[in-house]
Amino acid sequence: MPEFLELTVDKFTFKVATDRLYSAEGLWIKEEGSTVRLGLSDFFQQRNGDVAFAEIAGEGTGLESGEEIAVIETIKVDISLYSPLQGEIVEVNPAMEMEPEKINFDPYGEGWLARIAPVAWNTARAELLTPEAYYERVKREAEEELTTG
Amino acid sequence: MNDHHDGQERKVVIVPCSGIGKTYGTVSREAAYEVVEDLRPETAQLVALSLLVLGDETARAAVAANPAVTIDGCKLACATKMVQESDGTVVRDFAVLDVYRQHRQLRPRGIAELNKTGQELAHVLAGEVAAVVDATHRDEYGPVKEESHA
Repeated sequence: MPEFLELTVDKFTFKVATDRLYSAEGLWIKEEGSTVRLGLSDFFQQRNGDVAFAEIAGEGTGLESGEEIAVIETIKVDISLYSPLQGEIVEVNPAMEMEPEKINFDPYGEGWLARIAPVAWNTARAELLTPEAYYERVKREAEEELTTG
Repeated sequence: MNDHHDGQERKVVIVPCSGIGKTYGTVSREAAYEVVEDLRPETAQLVALSLLVLGDETARAAVAANPAVTIDGCKLACATKMVQESDGTVVRDFAVLDVYRQHRQLRPRGIAELNKTGQELAHVLAGEVAAVVDATHRDEYGPVKEESHA
Protein backbone atom coordinates (compact mmCIF):
# COMPACT_ATOMS: atom_id res chain seq x y z
CA MET A 1 0.00 0.00 0.00
CA PRO A 2 1.45 3.36 -0.97
CA GLU A 3 1.69 6.25 1.43
CA PHE A 4 0.03 9.51 0.50
CA LEU A 5 0.39 13.23 0.74
CA GLU A 6 -3.08 14.56 1.46
CA LEU A 7 -4.50 17.91 0.54
CA THR A 8 -7.89 19.24 1.57
CA VAL A 9 -9.35 22.12 -0.41
CA ASP A 10 -12.86 23.18 0.53
CA LYS A 11 -14.85 19.92 0.82
CA PHE A 12 -12.46 17.90 -1.34
CA THR A 13 -9.52 15.78 -0.20
CA PHE A 14 -6.92 14.79 -2.77
CA LYS A 15 -4.29 12.11 -2.32
CA VAL A 16 -0.89 12.03 -3.97
CA ALA A 17 0.84 8.63 -3.72
CA THR A 18 4.45 9.07 -2.72
CA ASP A 19 5.86 5.97 -4.42
CA ARG A 20 5.69 7.24 -8.00
CA LEU A 21 6.28 10.18 -10.33
CA TYR A 22 3.78 12.40 -12.13
CA SER A 23 3.27 14.23 -15.38
CA ALA A 24 2.00 17.78 -15.20
CA GLU A 25 -1.36 16.74 -16.69
CA GLY A 26 -2.01 14.20 -13.94
CA LEU A 27 -0.70 10.84 -15.08
CA TRP A 28 1.26 8.88 -12.52
CA ILE A 29 4.21 6.73 -13.59
CA LYS A 30 5.54 3.97 -11.35
CA GLU A 31 8.77 2.17 -12.08
CA GLU A 32 8.47 -1.62 -11.88
CA GLY A 33 11.69 -3.34 -12.89
CA SER A 34 12.24 -2.87 -16.62
CA THR A 35 8.75 -1.45 -17.21
CA VAL A 36 6.66 1.43 -15.87
CA ARG A 37 2.99 1.41 -14.97
CA LEU A 38 0.75 4.39 -15.79
CA GLY A 39 -2.46 5.61 -14.28
CA LEU A 40 -4.38 8.73 -13.38
CA SER A 41 -3.96 10.74 -10.21
CA ASP A 42 -6.66 11.09 -7.60
CA PHE A 43 -6.89 14.81 -8.37
CA PHE A 44 -7.36 14.10 -12.06
CA GLN A 45 -10.16 11.61 -11.49
CA GLN A 46 -11.99 13.76 -8.96
CA ARG A 47 -11.72 16.85 -11.12
CA ASN A 48 -13.04 15.16 -14.25
CA GLY A 49 -15.80 13.02 -12.79
CA ASP A 50 -17.00 9.46 -13.16
CA VAL A 51 -15.40 7.58 -16.04
CA ALA A 52 -17.80 6.15 -18.58
CA PHE A 53 -15.28 4.69 -21.02
CA ALA A 54 -11.52 4.37 -21.20
CA GLU A 55 -10.00 3.61 -24.59
CA ILE A 56 -6.33 2.81 -24.37
CA ALA A 57 -3.93 2.20 -27.26
CA GLY A 58 -3.37 -1.53 -27.75
CA GLU A 59 -0.59 -3.75 -26.54
CA GLY A 60 2.39 -3.59 -28.85
CA THR A 61 1.77 0.04 -29.73
CA GLY A 62 4.93 2.08 -29.98
CA LEU A 63 4.65 5.52 -28.42
CA GLU A 64 6.62 8.69 -28.79
CA SER A 65 6.68 11.07 -25.89
CA GLY A 66 3.68 13.37 -26.26
CA GLU A 67 1.72 10.91 -28.39
CA GLU A 68 -1.87 10.06 -27.49
CA ILE A 69 -2.06 6.97 -25.33
CA ALA A 70 -5.71 6.98 -24.26
CA VAL A 71 -9.03 8.77 -24.48
CA ILE A 72 -11.13 8.95 -21.35
CA GLU A 73 -14.82 9.78 -21.51
CA THR A 74 -16.27 10.97 -18.23
CA ILE A 75 -19.68 12.29 -17.29
CA LYS A 76 -18.23 15.77 -17.79
CA VAL A 77 -15.68 15.69 -20.60
CA ASP A 78 -13.69 13.72 -23.16
CA ILE A 79 -9.97 13.86 -22.45
CA SER A 80 -7.04 12.78 -24.58
CA LEU A 81 -4.08 11.58 -22.55
CA TYR A 82 -0.58 11.90 -23.89
CA SER A 83 2.30 9.63 -23.03
CA PRO A 84 4.97 11.36 -20.95
CA LEU A 85 7.58 8.93 -22.25
CA GLN A 86 8.72 7.00 -25.28
CA GLY A 87 8.24 3.24 -25.30
CA GLU A 88 6.00 0.32 -26.15
CA ILE A 89 2.78 -0.67 -24.44
CA VAL A 90 3.30 -4.18 -23.10
CA GLU A 91 0.07 -4.51 -21.14
CA VAL A 92 -3.28 -2.74 -20.96
CA ASN A 93 -5.35 -3.09 -17.82
CA PRO A 94 -8.06 -5.56 -18.87
CA ALA A 95 -10.45 -4.06 -16.31
CA MET A 96 -10.65 -0.88 -18.38
CA GLU A 97 -12.87 -2.66 -20.91
CA MET A 98 -15.73 -3.44 -18.53
CA GLU A 99 -14.93 -1.63 -15.29
CA PRO A 100 -13.37 1.75 -16.09
CA GLU A 101 -14.93 3.05 -12.88
CA LYS A 102 -11.92 1.51 -11.16
CA ILE A 103 -10.13 4.71 -12.17
CA ASN A 104 -12.45 6.53 -9.78
CA PHE A 105 -12.56 3.97 -7.00
CA ASP A 106 -8.88 3.01 -6.90
CA PRO A 107 -6.83 5.40 -9.07
CA TYR A 108 -3.47 4.33 -7.65
CA GLY A 109 -4.23 0.61 -7.60
CA GLU A 110 -6.69 -1.39 -9.67
CA GLY A 111 -7.49 1.64 -11.83
CA TRP A 112 -4.09 1.63 -13.58
CA LEU A 113 -4.17 2.12 -17.35
CA ALA A 114 -1.17 0.48 -18.98
CA ARG A 115 2.31 -0.87 -18.54
CA ILE A 116 5.03 0.41 -20.83
CA ALA A 117 8.54 -0.74 -21.70
CA PRO A 118 10.22 2.65 -21.82
CA VAL A 119 12.93 3.87 -24.14
CA ALA A 120 15.41 6.36 -22.66
CA TRP A 121 13.71 6.11 -19.31
CA ASN A 122 16.38 8.08 -17.47
CA THR A 123 15.78 11.03 -19.75
CA ALA A 124 12.00 10.81 -19.42
CA ARG A 125 12.18 10.40 -15.66
CA ALA A 126 14.11 13.62 -15.30
CA GLU A 127 11.19 15.48 -16.85
CA LEU A 128 8.59 14.09 -14.45
CA LEU A 129 7.38 15.64 -11.21
CA THR A 130 8.18 14.29 -7.77
CA PRO A 131 5.18 13.63 -5.50
CA GLU A 132 6.02 16.80 -3.59
CA ALA A 133 6.17 18.89 -6.76
CA TYR A 134 2.92 17.40 -8.04
CA TYR A 135 1.29 18.02 -4.65
CA GLU A 136 2.18 21.71 -4.95
CA ARG A 137 0.76 21.77 -8.47
CA VAL A 138 -2.48 20.14 -7.32
CA LYS A 139 -2.74 22.63 -4.46
CA ARG A 140 -2.30 25.56 -6.81
CA GLU A 141 -4.76 24.27 -9.38
CA ALA A 142 -7.40 23.26 -6.82
CA GLU A 143 -7.23 26.62 -5.09
CA GLU A 144 -7.42 28.43 -8.42
CA GLU A 145 -10.44 26.41 -9.40
CA LEU A 146 -12.09 27.17 -6.09
CA THR A 147 -11.62 30.91 -6.46
CA THR A 148 -12.68 31.02 -10.10
CA GLY A 149 -15.66 28.71 -9.53
CA MET B 1 -56.80 -0.10 -4.51
CA ASN B 2 -53.48 1.40 -3.60
CA ASP B 3 -54.61 3.19 -0.44
CA HIS B 4 -53.61 1.76 2.88
CA HIS B 5 -55.40 2.04 6.22
CA ASP B 6 -52.92 4.70 7.35
CA GLY B 7 -53.84 6.87 4.38
CA GLN B 8 -50.50 6.33 2.69
CA GLU B 9 -50.58 5.51 -0.99
CA ARG B 10 -49.16 2.08 -1.67
CA LYS B 11 -46.93 2.92 -4.55
CA VAL B 12 -43.30 2.18 -5.18
CA VAL B 13 -41.29 5.34 -4.55
CA ILE B 14 -38.94 6.61 -7.26
CA VAL B 15 -36.16 8.91 -6.07
CA PRO B 16 -33.97 10.36 -8.83
CA CYS B 17 -30.79 12.41 -8.54
CA SER B 18 -31.32 16.08 -7.73
CA GLY B 19 -28.15 17.29 -9.44
CA ILE B 20 -29.35 20.43 -11.15
CA GLY B 21 -27.08 21.42 -14.01
CA LYS B 22 -25.74 17.90 -14.41
CA THR B 23 -26.50 15.98 -17.57
CA TYR B 24 -26.71 12.59 -15.89
CA GLY B 25 -28.92 14.03 -13.18
CA THR B 26 -31.27 15.29 -15.87
CA VAL B 27 -31.37 11.82 -17.44
CA SER B 28 -32.31 10.34 -14.05
CA ARG B 29 -35.14 12.83 -13.57
CA GLU B 30 -36.49 12.46 -17.11
CA ALA B 31 -36.59 8.70 -16.63
CA ALA B 32 -38.35 9.08 -13.29
CA TYR B 33 -40.95 11.47 -14.77
CA GLU B 34 -41.67 9.00 -17.56
CA VAL B 35 -42.20 6.17 -15.09
CA VAL B 36 -44.57 8.02 -12.76
CA GLU B 37 -46.41 10.04 -15.42
CA ASP B 38 -46.64 7.68 -18.39
CA LEU B 39 -45.50 4.14 -17.73
CA ARG B 40 -46.64 3.30 -14.19
CA PRO B 41 -48.79 6.13 -12.76
CA GLU B 42 -50.89 3.62 -10.80
CA THR B 43 -48.01 1.92 -9.05
CA ALA B 44 -45.16 4.42 -8.82
CA GLN B 45 -44.81 7.81 -7.18
CA LEU B 46 -42.05 10.40 -7.30
CA VAL B 47 -40.34 11.71 -4.20
CA ALA B 48 -37.95 14.61 -4.66
CA LEU B 49 -34.53 14.02 -3.17
CA SER B 50 -34.35 17.65 -2.14
CA LEU B 51 -37.42 17.18 0.09
CA LEU B 52 -35.75 14.24 1.82
CA VAL B 53 -32.65 16.34 2.35
CA LEU B 54 -34.80 19.07 3.89
CA GLY B 55 -36.53 16.53 6.13
CA ASP B 56 -39.99 17.07 4.65
CA GLU B 57 -42.35 14.90 6.70
CA THR B 58 -44.56 13.79 3.81
CA ALA B 59 -41.59 12.78 1.71
CA ARG B 60 -39.95 10.92 4.59
CA ALA B 61 -43.20 9.14 5.41
CA ALA B 62 -43.64 8.00 1.80
CA VAL B 63 -40.11 6.63 1.74
CA ALA B 64 -40.45 4.95 5.12
CA ALA B 65 -43.73 3.27 4.17
CA ASN B 66 -42.93 2.06 0.66
CA PRO B 67 -40.12 0.30 -1.16
CA ALA B 68 -37.94 2.68 -3.13
CA VAL B 69 -36.13 2.60 -6.44
CA THR B 70 -33.32 5.15 -6.65
CA ILE B 71 -31.69 6.56 -9.77
CA ASP B 72 -28.29 8.09 -9.15
CA GLY B 73 -26.51 10.44 -11.51
CA CYS B 74 -23.01 9.85 -10.20
CA LYS B 75 -20.98 7.70 -7.88
CA LEU B 76 -21.81 9.84 -4.86
CA ALA B 77 -25.17 8.03 -4.97
CA CYS B 78 -26.97 10.76 -3.02
CA ALA B 79 -30.42 9.39 -3.82
CA THR B 80 -29.63 5.94 -2.47
CA LYS B 81 -27.87 7.26 0.62
CA MET B 82 -30.64 9.71 1.43
CA VAL B 83 -33.38 7.08 1.16
CA GLN B 84 -31.42 4.83 3.49
CA GLU B 85 -30.91 7.69 5.93
CA SER B 86 -34.66 8.34 5.80
CA ASP B 87 -35.36 4.81 7.06
CA GLY B 88 -36.38 3.71 3.59
CA THR B 89 -35.72 0.43 1.83
CA VAL B 90 -33.97 0.61 -1.52
CA VAL B 91 -35.05 -2.38 -3.57
CA ARG B 92 -32.93 -1.35 -6.53
CA ASP B 93 -30.43 1.43 -7.11
CA PHE B 94 -29.90 2.41 -10.73
CA ALA B 95 -26.91 4.39 -11.91
CA VAL B 96 -27.33 6.33 -15.14
CA LEU B 97 -23.71 5.64 -16.03
CA ASP B 98 -24.23 1.86 -15.88
CA VAL B 99 -27.15 2.09 -18.29
CA TYR B 100 -25.17 4.37 -20.60
CA ARG B 101 -22.30 1.87 -20.65
CA GLN B 102 -24.73 -0.72 -21.99
CA HIS B 103 -26.00 1.70 -24.67
CA ARG B 104 -22.99 3.68 -25.75
CA GLN B 105 -24.74 4.99 -28.86
CA LEU B 106 -27.10 6.92 -26.55
CA ARG B 107 -24.67 9.53 -25.36
CA PRO B 108 -26.43 12.16 -23.24
CA ARG B 109 -25.63 15.82 -23.73
CA GLY B 110 -27.36 18.98 -22.59
CA ILE B 111 -28.55 20.06 -19.18
CA ALA B 112 -31.88 21.88 -19.14
CA GLU B 113 -32.84 20.01 -22.28
CA LEU B 114 -31.34 16.68 -23.20
CA ASN B 115 -30.20 15.91 -26.71
CA LYS B 116 -32.04 13.25 -28.69
CA THR B 117 -29.83 10.37 -27.62
CA GLY B 118 -30.01 11.54 -24.04
CA GLN B 119 -33.79 11.42 -24.22
CA GLU B 120 -33.55 7.92 -25.68
CA LEU B 121 -31.25 6.89 -22.85
CA ALA B 122 -33.77 8.24 -20.33
CA HIS B 123 -36.48 6.24 -22.10
CA VAL B 124 -34.44 3.02 -21.92
CA LEU B 125 -33.74 3.66 -18.25
CA ALA B 126 -37.42 4.36 -17.60
CA GLY B 127 -38.28 0.97 -19.07
CA GLU B 128 -35.84 -0.77 -16.77
CA VAL B 129 -37.17 1.12 -13.75
CA ALA B 130 -40.76 0.28 -14.72
CA ALA B 131 -39.89 -3.41 -14.81
CA VAL B 132 -38.52 -3.19 -11.28
CA VAL B 133 -41.62 -1.26 -10.18
CA ASP B 134 -43.82 -4.05 -11.56
CA ALA B 135 -41.96 -6.79 -9.74
CA THR B 136 -41.70 -4.82 -6.51
CA HIS B 137 -45.32 -3.75 -6.46
CA ARG B 138 -46.50 -7.28 -7.14
CA ASP B 139 -44.30 -8.66 -4.34
CA GLU B 140 -45.24 -5.97 -1.82
CA TYR B 141 -48.88 -5.21 -2.51
CA GLY B 142 -50.17 -7.89 -4.85
CA PRO B 143 -51.42 -7.40 -8.39
CA VAL B 144 -52.87 -4.06 -9.42
CA LYS B 145 -56.55 -3.86 -10.33
CA GLU B 146 -56.12 -4.45 -14.04
CA GLU B 147 -53.92 -7.47 -13.49
CA SER B 148 -56.33 -9.06 -10.99
CA HIS B 149 -59.01 -9.12 -13.67
CA ALA B 150 -56.76 -10.63 -16.28
